[in-house]
Amino acid sequence: MQNQYRLGIDAGGTFTDFILADRKGGVRIFKALSTPNDPTAAIRNGLALIEEETGLSPETIVSNADLCINGTTVGLNALITHNGAKTGLIATRGHEDSIEIRLGHKEDGYRYDPDYPPATMLVPRYLRRGVGERVLSNGQVHTPLNEDDVREACRHFLREGVESVAISFVWSVLHPEHENRAAEIVREMMPDVRLTVGSQLYPQVREYTRTSTAIVNAYLAPILQRYVEAVDAYFRSLGARHPVRYFQSNGGLALGKVVSDQSVYAINSGPASAPQAALWLGQPWGMKDIITVDMGGTSFDITLTRDGRANVSKNVDFLRYRIGIPMIQVETLGAGGGSIGWIDSMGLMQMGPQSAGSEPGPACYDQGGEKPTTTDANLVLGYLNPDGLVGGRLPLNVEKARAAIKTHLADPLGISVEKAAYGMFTIVNNNMVNAIRRVSVERGYDPRDFVLNCAGGATAAHITALAREMGTRKVLISKLASGLCAFGQIISDVKYNYMAPAAARLEGAESAAKLNGLFNGLEARGRADLMADGFTDDTISIRRSLDMRYVGQVHECTVDVDPFEVTEAALERLKAAFHARHEELYTYAEPNSAVEVVNVESAITGAVDKPGRMTVVPGKGAHSALKGTREMIFNADGIAHETPVYDGAALGAGDRITGPAVIQEVTTTIVIEPGWLAELDASGVYVLTLATQTGAAQPQRATEVA
Amino acid sequence: MTKRNVDPITLSVVRGVLETTQREMTLTLEQTARSSVFNLAHDYSTALFNHTPEMILQGQDIPIHLGSLIPAMKSVAKFFEGEIHEGDLILHNDPAYGGSHIIDTCMYYPVFYEGELVFWTVCKGHLTDIGGPVPAGYNPNATEIFAEGLRIPPVKLWDKGKPRHDVMNLLLTNMRARRDQEGDFNALIGACQVGARNLINLMKKYGKDVVQDCIAELLDMAEAHMRKLIAGVPDGTYTGTAILEDAGHGFGDFDITATVTIKGDACHIEIASPPQVPYFINSYEGNSHSGVYLGLMMFAQLPPPYNEGLYRCVTTDMGPKGTLCNAKSPAPHMNCTTTPMETLTDAVRLAFEQAAPAKVSASWGHANGCNIAGWDKRHDEEYVTMVLASIISGAGATAAQDGWHACGPECCFGALTSGDIEMLEHSYPIIIHRYGLMEDSGGAGKNRGGSGTCWEVEPMDTPMTLVTFGEGRRIPAMGAAGAKSALIQPKVGRLEVTRNGQTRIITENVIETIQPGERAANKNPGGGGYGNPFERDIQKVVEDVRNGLVSLEGARLDYGVVITDRDSLSVDHAATAKLRAA
Repeated sequence: MQNQYRLGIDAGGTFTDFILADRKGGVRIFKALSTPNDPTAAIRNGLALIEEETGLSPETIVSNADLCINGTTVGLNALITHNGAKTGLIATRGHEDSIEIRLGHKEDGYRYDPDYPPATMLVPRYLRRGVGERVLSNGQVHTPLNEDDVREACRHFLREGVESVAISFVWSVLHPEHENRAAEIVREMMPDVRLTVGSQLYPQVREYTRTSTAIVNAYLAPILQRYVEAVDAYFRSLGARHPVRYFQSNGGLALGKVVSDQSVYAINSGPASAPQAALWLGQPWGMKDIITVDMGGTSFDITLTRDGRANVSKNVDFLRYRIGIPMIQVETLGAGGGSIGWIDSMGLMQMGPQSAGSEPGPACYDQGGEKPTTTDANLVLGYLNPDGLVGGRLPLNVEKARAAIKTHLADPLGISVEKAAYGMFTIVNNNMVNAIRRVSVERGYDPRDFVLNCAGGATAAHITALAREMGTRKVLISKLASGLCAFGQIISDVKYNYMAPAAARLEGAESAAKLNGLFNGLEARGRADLMADGFTDDTISIRRSLDMRYVGQVHECTVDVDPFEVTEAALERLKAAFHARHEELYTYAEPNSAVEVVNVESAITGAVDKPGRMTVVPGKGAHSALKGTREMIFNADGIAHETPVYDGAALGAGDRITGPAVIQEVTTTIVIEPGWLAELDASGVYVLTLATQTGAAQPQRATEVA
Repeated sequence: MTKRNVDPITLSVVRGVLETTQREMTLTLEQTARSSVFNLAHDYSTALFNHTPEMILQGQDIPIHLGSLIPAMKSVAKFFEGEIHEGDLILHNDPAYGGSHIIDTCMYYPVFYEGELVFWTVCKGHLTDIGGPVPAGYNPNATEIFAEGLRIPPVKLWDKGKPRHDVMNLLLTNMRARRDQEGDFNALIGACQVGARNLINLMKKYGKDVVQDCIAELLDMAEAHMRKLIAGVPDGTYTGTAILEDAGHGFGDFDITATVTIKGDACHIEIASPPQVPYFINSYEGNSHSGVYLGLMMFAQLPPPYNEGLYRCVTTDMGPKGTLCNAKSPAPHMNCTTTPMETLTDAVRLAFEQAAPAKVSASWGHANGCNIAGWDKRHDEEYVTMVLASIISGAGATAAQDGWHACGPECCFGALTSGDIEMLEHSYPIIIHRYGLMEDSGGAGKNRGGSGTCWEVEPMDTPMTLVTFGEGRRIPAMGAAGAKSALIQPKVGRLEVTRNGQTRIITENVIETIQPGERAANKNPGGGGYGNPFERDIQKVVEDVRNGLVSLEGARLDYGVVITDRDSLSVDHAATAKLRAA
């Protein structure tokens, strides 16, 4: 870090988190209410709050900060509420409807549901215009572009007041000239609209995915542009010496200009920083295989890193819209503190996905909520302090929680309130474990081989139970857990993805040279972009990957290119890596079948230097932090046991606690089930290990990191 | 019955694991399969059975596959009774053993735990070819099942863990596009293995007895659920008759009648159909189960999970052997999963509509599609496939909303996918000139039926064989709750072949050769409407016109709404009121 401070701002649904780090390892979290209608207001309010608590004025911080990082939900909110720009699509004639046909599929889970609505069209049919043009699957032009059709479409859009235009033609990735020429005409006739060109935004095969991605981008671009301009101007007015950087769903930072041109990269950025944070926390022990779980009020987000790299998703449905660009894989489940327990029409107890939210909230908030929620169960089980959450600002009513559980679950099932509460806890945990399979088992990984990392305010009450269900033996809980994603952003690098289609069978020197040339071309662009942002050659790193499949398959496995140069000899290694990956994922490989490459991608990173690590002073033994005891339930029998409660703020480095126990931190409550040993590390991270027969396993630091 | 040792919490947990298992099986099939029918179109299904064997979890895949898996699994288990060993893997497609049509091949994997047969993991998938005279299996000229392809009675592909390469080679030798078929077999096997792995882990964790008790409980709960729904319907006998149109067989139209008798919490469904015909639209008993169960689900509208307990209170009688819906060998049958199945489903749906008028939604567009085959010069190899994109019809409207566009056909209920245009053109040497929604194709109603689709293709550089199947080319999808369309022509399917500037409309099932430069447009019907179309909100009609889903003529004839012109979209309210009052 060159300057005194680094400031991270992460807007969530309810709260906007602020992380203020300094050069010496001091890290503080602040929270302000989010202001979805005027997103910059939350930033002003948060900086005012920081001034109130620290005496540091916004000008002091910003003018002495080397980086102000902004994770925004502006795009996400616009997509959820369908409040994006009025958008028009110019498509190949005959293919205007692919985004409404949506591959002809209705989502699983709603097969016979008469009320489940179709996805809302971001571009209604009357704003999707077909033009004469066609490129074939071999890249040849079948029908040249009819420029008059494009002009007619523009005239139509102008009449209709369209603010943003997407152009996406069939096979444009093999012959972008038609799209490029159409783009020139649109710029000429509609100089004031935002323009998204499919083959530029997402140069990969799959028309539906490319068109859908382009439309989402076009739909959000004007919104992001307005936001970025407002934020940039505000920070400039505070004397910022560096441009604001924005966090993207690919797990990296980008300049505002990039975010407003490629808005689709910003849609799910919040949880995408979790893998980065997890690796940072695990670094002192050399941990690289980490699953991070983040439980908030209504949802549960899961991310995974394997060998230090985050899972990436491509070509997935996000909020019912197909998105092609690589995004950090974030599996989201409707399971949070507010998730409601109910009995379904068959008589089975279920948890969520309906949530009591923050209004009226769980029954124990005593704000009119009558449905039993996860938080109510945790309170009845004794895990949460009835005196209240968030340092006592929100007292909890145990009787209300018990009444809700009794009425809606325990009585109908004929079991005690305690058993029902433990059942709620068990079911919500199992829902989460099943969802964790989507980032692990479905990616060919065994979750037992991973460390479980805790993020979000509500997670720590469940973390040892989740680890037990998963068979995981090690857990990390940072003191910053409740703001871990905001923290992940301030330690992230700038990252851009560059892609190209590359239909080729993996045979011979010529195909190797062709692939290598493609990569070199992409990377030359990437270097130029990063150097324009002030990065030097020694801070730029590149990761190459290939999307590969057996000839005849249509779904690809991504294989990293390592070593870097694609040579004829490397092809054999790449093929071997592909066979191995296929077997890992699907139980079998076909070593004698031909393998083809479909897409190439280079992820190009500009390294940003990191702030110092938090340091906790050595402790005097856990007993000095003991606050008292509470009755807690740790078993399906529903029987309560007297259990110690510790004050996290009073614990020091090296202090150890054996479960069962609870550690109360200011913004989170850590439940340590019987059999677990927790030790607070000097870096501000609790390391929990499963005690073995021969005694408690002890965390071993691989290397001491400054 | 003795009280089982089941706590409600473990029950919910086991349910979650079963659903996760099925999901992972389905993913394996999708991700690894070779043919576009599997990997782009999802024309496959997965299920789990217990040892009895009763279906303990039905995937949310193709409805028309799943009903027939119940009798098929029982036939297969019976065939090998006493000879089922750990490491066996059984393959089957024959309708004489409960299969649907022979192109849908089923893989059955017995899961053993501590030496005992506990579960079966099962999947079924539509191969692109099964041998026989016509590529892709649909032979409109077949008068016997023997002219449709290879019948496979239950046969062991693995014997105590040892793959029988001789048997696999025999099968593959009889099929076109061998590489695709082999890859799809591997995908089916992989899916069964993934399922078995999960179930074994579940038993390791909770113990076999607890898991089995939980599953028995889940079956009982599903049974109770369906009984409760049926008890809510007044006792009585309800009848529905749907017309199966002549699609080139020359025997005229047929009536298929479903008689639903509700007594207390049980239901009996009886099907009456004409004698079987020497044409590929006969349905064997197993397949007819799927049609009946789908009609039942259109009434029950249940959320998952689905298991065989749902059907315990439902008895069926498919009519005498040798009839269209209870065919016997050697009746040809290849078209059965869509025709007559969707008409059979309509008849059952209609009977339930009499029983529960407010609840039952409209019929979906029927499958009216094509298969294609030819030579792929790019790789110097034969290609053959069913084009699932060509059967994506409109969904029926419901009491709550308009039907989904492009979500059918009825027999698949939204489970299929059409495949990306570029991926299809990558896989086959074709040019898809159009894949879009069609004006006026959705059935008129207070809630409009979803639009059907048009799939227009041209072979790239070699002649293409195109075989049509299905129906729905004269009679549009049936509406519900008083829905009725006036403008029929755009609401039914057809094939339009354009040669030398002349377009020929084909409404029968035929084998056509399409040359490069010629085009074939396969049009699919829309879904049925719900409620009186003259009560449809005028503004909704205007929006449909703006979006090109309804024409000015359609607005006037189907909805009684007079719109002056396309540009202004202004409504002549006086003329509209007059039309609507008439």
